[in-house]
Amino acid sequence: MKSYCLQRMNALAPYFISPQPGMPQPDPRELHEFGEEFFTNGTPAYRLLYFFLILILQGLCLLLRGKSLYALPQEEAEDFIQSLFSSRFATVSAIPMLLGTPIYMSHYNRDDVQIYLGFEVEALREEAAKREVTR
Amino acid sequence: MIIKPREVPGNISRDADVVIIGSGAGGGPIAKELAEEGYSVVVLEEGGCFTREDFDFRAGAAFTRFYRDGGQTVTLGLPVVLLPQGKTVGGTTTVNSGTCLRIPRHVLKRWHLERGLRDISEDELNLLYSAVEEYLFVKRADPEVAGKNALIFLEAAEGLGYSGGFLPRNAKDCEGYGVCAYGCPSGAKQSVNVSYIPDAVKAGADVYTNCRAERILVRSGRAVGVRGRFIDPVTRRKSHRIEVEAAVVVLAGGAVQSPSLLMHNRLCLSSGQVGKNLSIHPCACVTAILDEKLGNPKGIPQSTYVDEFAPEGIMLEGVTLPPFVYAISIPWVGRRHSRAMLDYPYCGSFGSMICEHDSVGKVVAGPSARQPLTLYQIGREDLDRVKRSILLLAEIWFAAGARSVQTPIDGFKELSSPKDLQRLARISIKRASIYGLTAYHPMGTCSMGSDPDWSVVQPSGETWEVENLFICDASVLPTSLGVNPQLTTMALALRTAGFIDERLCQGSFDQQYPGRLRRLRNRLRAERVSLTRRLAERE
Repeated sequence: MKSYCLQRMNALAPYFISPQPGMPQPDPRELHEFGEEFFTNGTPAYRLLYFFLILILQGLCLLLRGKSLYALPQEEAEDFIQSLFSSRFATVSAIPMLLGTPIYMSHYNRDDVQIYLGFEVEALREEAAKREVTR
Repeated sequence: MIIKPREVPGNISRDADVVIIGSGAGGGPIAKELAEEGYSVVVLEEGGCFTREDFDFRAGAAFTRFYRDGGQTVTLGLPVVLLPQGKTVGGTTTVNSGTCLRIPRHVLKRWHLERGLRDISEDELNLLYSAVEEYLFVKRADPEVAGKNALIFLEAAEGLGYSGGFLPRNAKDCEGYGVCAYGCPSGAKQSVNVSYIPDAVKAGADVYTNCRAERILVRSGRAVGVRGRFIDPVTRRKSHRIEVEAAVVVLAGGAVQSPSLLMHNRLCLSSGQVGKNLSIHPCACVTAILDEKLGNPKGIPQSTYVDEFAPEGIMLEGVTLPPFVYAISIPWVGRRHSRAMLDYPYCGSFGSMICEHDSVGKVVAGPSARQPLTLYQIGREDLDRVKRSILLLAEIWFAAGARSVQTPIDGFKELSSPKDLQRLARISIKRASIYGLTAYHPMGTCSMGSDPDWSVVQPSGETWEVENLFICDASVLPTSLGVNPQLTTMALALRTAGFIDERLCQGSFDQQYPGRLRRLRNRLRAERVSLTRRLAERE
């Protein structure tokens, strides 16, 4: 189940993260590595939930758009996920939120992405390494 | 010494005066106090031991490494509340914001009146608080490193006439790196992993890491030790066994794990109170887009507060979001999401914390002792209070000049002007309409009290049913505090250490006040007298 979740997480990433020009692209290798740690250390319940949410997302897409999510053009797939997110029903809007969580965690955890957003993580890391507060 | 699983050659069987389960805000201070008194102390910690080199500003990775279940622990109920708990040496203190607030007077009064805890007097608590604050270098957050986000919010709140200020924190020479919740990279935050535990180890305590306590050994109604297993930190498989025979067992696993262990060991269940009475301080976060860059997430994440509404049970406290948390909080996907992420440098954020009145929660045994289920249903009054806190946060952000404000309420995810606030104020929200609630302070599941029918532990911290089994963590706090509970947990830990010392010295509780506590009081009194004298001389 974990490997299926990881595989689908990678497949879903482009729909959740469509970088603006100049923004770093999602890195499938990093996504996989982070996802591996995320699902290994996480609760079995979340893995199970993730698995079912992927199936529900696919099912809803087939039902509402008549096609698999992956068969839809990129923009249409994004719009479909966005429509779920904007739903009045909390259970429906929770689907993309939960599916997107590990994707965003992995992508925006990367140094290059954080630096692009103005969080000078490398400089701070160097500064902190030089400084040690003792009791 | 701190012993990691790879340093353990085989099964361990040993004895000690005291064995402590957990090394957080409750276990750490007890370990230090008793080790310094000369007792042999063994601490079993389920999490790993991490140092400042491991705290490397990677927030996402920190969740998977330093938090229980990768930070994915939630309460079941409406709405679902994310309840992250630290799982590392130092417990949640390693990954919290370091806020150190004393118990509000009205809450202590409630403990006295409703729970019969008159033994815990205000004077005594104040002495214990002073000892902890002195040891942890507690002082108000420095405005220089408080962070622009917090300063702007506080200024706007004060402009509206709301009272607030800078929070007291256990940090020494803090530079405001903004990543307290992912481990302090400079060691400035005096969490238990850099304060109480190292001092306990210096005094001779042994801390076994990645070691999960599974069974509390009880003979003839007395706790006599703990049995546990080491867990390989990489494969997560169980490895060697450990059995520690001890005169006193201290359970300090936190308000979710401690009752779970009791339930799985079928201990202390006759009152029916184990696992019940859970309160968590539900928190909401409101973000805003401002016109100026705020230098996120630099600055102390929780440096300021607004306590104007504390009498209503609403406390507003600072929060800064690392990029990935901001990414999760944005209610869009794809291109729109990426465009919104460009606003990250302009994003302000502040949180609210609710002191519960009518919410109901409990911890029940899950499929394994490691994975209890946390059930929590927010009450109608508390839900209204959450909504009110969101309105207040939004109002203050608009007063601070926000272009737009994002709230965690369905249908009001983005507010573009103060007029939207009136619209939001008029509606009655449902439990399912609030998303993204979090909570960081589980409490009350092994509550302290003077009546064995309605509480799990005595005012001394010892359980009513099992002799020599003490509980010392936030689970003993009998009601929702309304403020961050780490300081109170530590103060009560010092108090409990006094009772344990007395038990180990004399084997009975004949005196009204134990010797340890009396010595501590005398020391604090002497220090106060000497400080007053020094100040008088200086003047």
